[in-house]
Amino acid sequence: MYKTEIRGPLILGNKTLGQISDEITSPIYQRPKMWWLIGMGISSVMMLLGFWAIYVTIATGIGSWGVNNTVGWGWAIINFVWWIGIGHAGTAFSIFLLILRQEWRSSVNRAAEAMTVVAVGCAAIFPALHMGRIWDAFFIFPYPNTRGPLWVNYNSPLFWDFIAISAYLLISASFWFLGMIPDFATIRDTTKSKVKKAVYGFFAMGWRGSSGEWKRYEGLAFVLGGIAAVLVVSVHSIVSTDFAVSIEPGWHTTLFPPYFVVGAIFSGFAMVMTLMVIIRKFYKLNDFITDRHLDNVAKILVYISLIMGTAYLTEVFIAWYSANEYELFTFFRNRITGEYTFQFWAMFVCNALIPQLMWFKKIRRNINIVFVISLFINIGMWYERFNIVVTSLAKDYLPSAWASYTPTFVEISVFLGTLGIFAFGVLLFFKYIPMIAIHEVKMVNKFKVNKKR
Amino acid sequence: MKNDKQHIIGVFDGEETLVNAFRELKKEKIEISDVFTPFPIHEVLEGHGRKSNIITLSWFFGLFAALAVLSFLYYTAVVDWPLNYGGKPSSAFPSFIVITIVLTIFSVTILSLFTFSVRAKLWPNIEKPIYHDGATDDKFVILFDKDKVDEGKLKKLLKDLGATEIIEK
Repeated sequence: MYKTEIRGPLILGNKTLGQISDEITSPIYQRPKMWWLIGMGISSVMMLLGFWAIYVTIATGIGSWGVNNTVGWGWAIINFVWWIGIGHAGTAFSIFLLILRQEWRSSVNRAAEAMTVVAVGCAAIFPALHMGRIWDAFFIFPYPNTRGPLWVNYNSPLFWDFIAISAYLLISASFWFLGMIPDFATIRDTTKSKVKKAVYGFFAMGWRGSSGEWKRYEGLAFVLGGIAAVLVVSVHSIVSTDFAVSIEPGWHTTLFPPYFVVGAIFSGFAMVMTLMVIIRKFYKLNDFITDRHLDNVAKILVYISLIMGTAYLTEVFIAWYSANEYELFTFFRNRITGEYTFQFWAMFVCNALIPQLMWFKKIRRNINIVFVISLFINIGMWYERFNIVVTSLAKDYLPSAWASYTPTFVEISVFLGTLGIFAFGVLLFFKYIPMIAIHEVKMVNKFKVNKKR
Repeated sequence: MKNDKQHIIGVFDGEETLVNAFRELKKEKIEISDVFTPFPIHEVLEGHGRKSNIITLSWFFGLFAALAVLSFLYYTAVVDWPLNYGGKPSSAFPSFIVITIVLTIFSVTILSLFTFSVRAKLWPNIEKPIYHDGATDDKFVILFDKDKVDEGKLKKLLKDLGATEIIEK
């Protein structure tokens, strides 16, 4: 049971239940604010740029990208892994904190899950484009076909990846939607607008909050939570096998699955932090997303940052300890020093060193600094993926096959486009969906200090 | 609707009064037909004797899905069209595990969602009477069937237990 005397109340301001519904749903009734419209404008422009780049990629082919025979995986795979990593936070938040009975998650998990769905959607764009002939994408479905029947290769991590990402997208979306059903019903019953009543009523699917509905809801949430916990670990492990199963120097390590999973949760929590600060800043939901929430996420980030630092050092140590000349070359002559020095040290400083500042309470309680640190983490995580994808491929076993890689404008535009899609999706979420799980917050609202029973 | 006003609705303002009232009503052996709350209250869910087999069912969904996926993989990769990938065995059980786990989780999710939708009677455009608008906002509502309770006694009892509104519907 949550001890408020020790940890402070989860929801500030002694709110009544009605106040909670009103305050959380208020953005839905307000007219869109100026910053929101500007944000939508910018993200739409970025999306358009992205759609143009996607069109060029499909119409011209992968030749419009900077990838070559040596560096076959460029920005596309870097961004794919980056987005999937960000997408891990939603599930990690809801599931791990549910299992650990961290009641404070209830103010944050809705936004984290929304972020997951949008981020995984963005991620899925990249491998689809990278296939080159996207109109043949259905070849990866195992179905009885006229090509033999030629089935797919179940031993290939790339196929596992396809299954894992599609399943993850659908499962996280349904988990997200399930949590929203009671909140849609709240909007249906409190709104005065007929259109909103009809639309939110449609999605509320006749929810009334009867004991039978709640009993089954809790059962289902338990089941989905339990099995999705496996998914959090498995999806990014599978992504890591895309690398670890091949024999490139710097990729072929058993460290990869845990290293990727932890990295994913790291970047995801950093993105949650970014979004939480934005929600607080623009929607004045400080009573729900309190300083404690930011403090808790900051503490998790410090801890994960230590794991990341350990993982980086372990990789380097094992490379040295194995005395394998290719490993030594990749880590010491290509990453720590050499052509990709900047990317390696950007990764190390942003992920392993800068977050350590959050050991200090003064820094954890300063929202601006925390916001900047969370951005640094996401930049660092992007460099981590650059480091993994490009440095190993560019210089592997045969010096005669070495090549450099620079992205083209089209590649960069696809990435900017997904940033636009992400911002667009998140802004729509802010406006049209209660961004904090109303019924869950009502449940933890009773944990108040000196509460008379 | 057969005829109007066949229910009595007791509306409560707080969780504690509701739980207290719920217990007292149980003690008085008054039949409660449903309770509507803005969030799950375990005292009520358990006291009401609501049962849900969704957890057990999901387990069977999982078992079914795991077996189905494994046999599909075996059939396609070993029986139907075995391919030689660098001399590796076609029946590569270890690498089947990954797909089996992911697809099992996927099937359990989808099947239990549908079961939930059917059993809890939740789907788009379903027509269900909403007894009190506040039940999803800040009110705690107990519903009685008029035929099954002693009307006068119940109303008095509800008032004593702190119901803020007693409505016939």
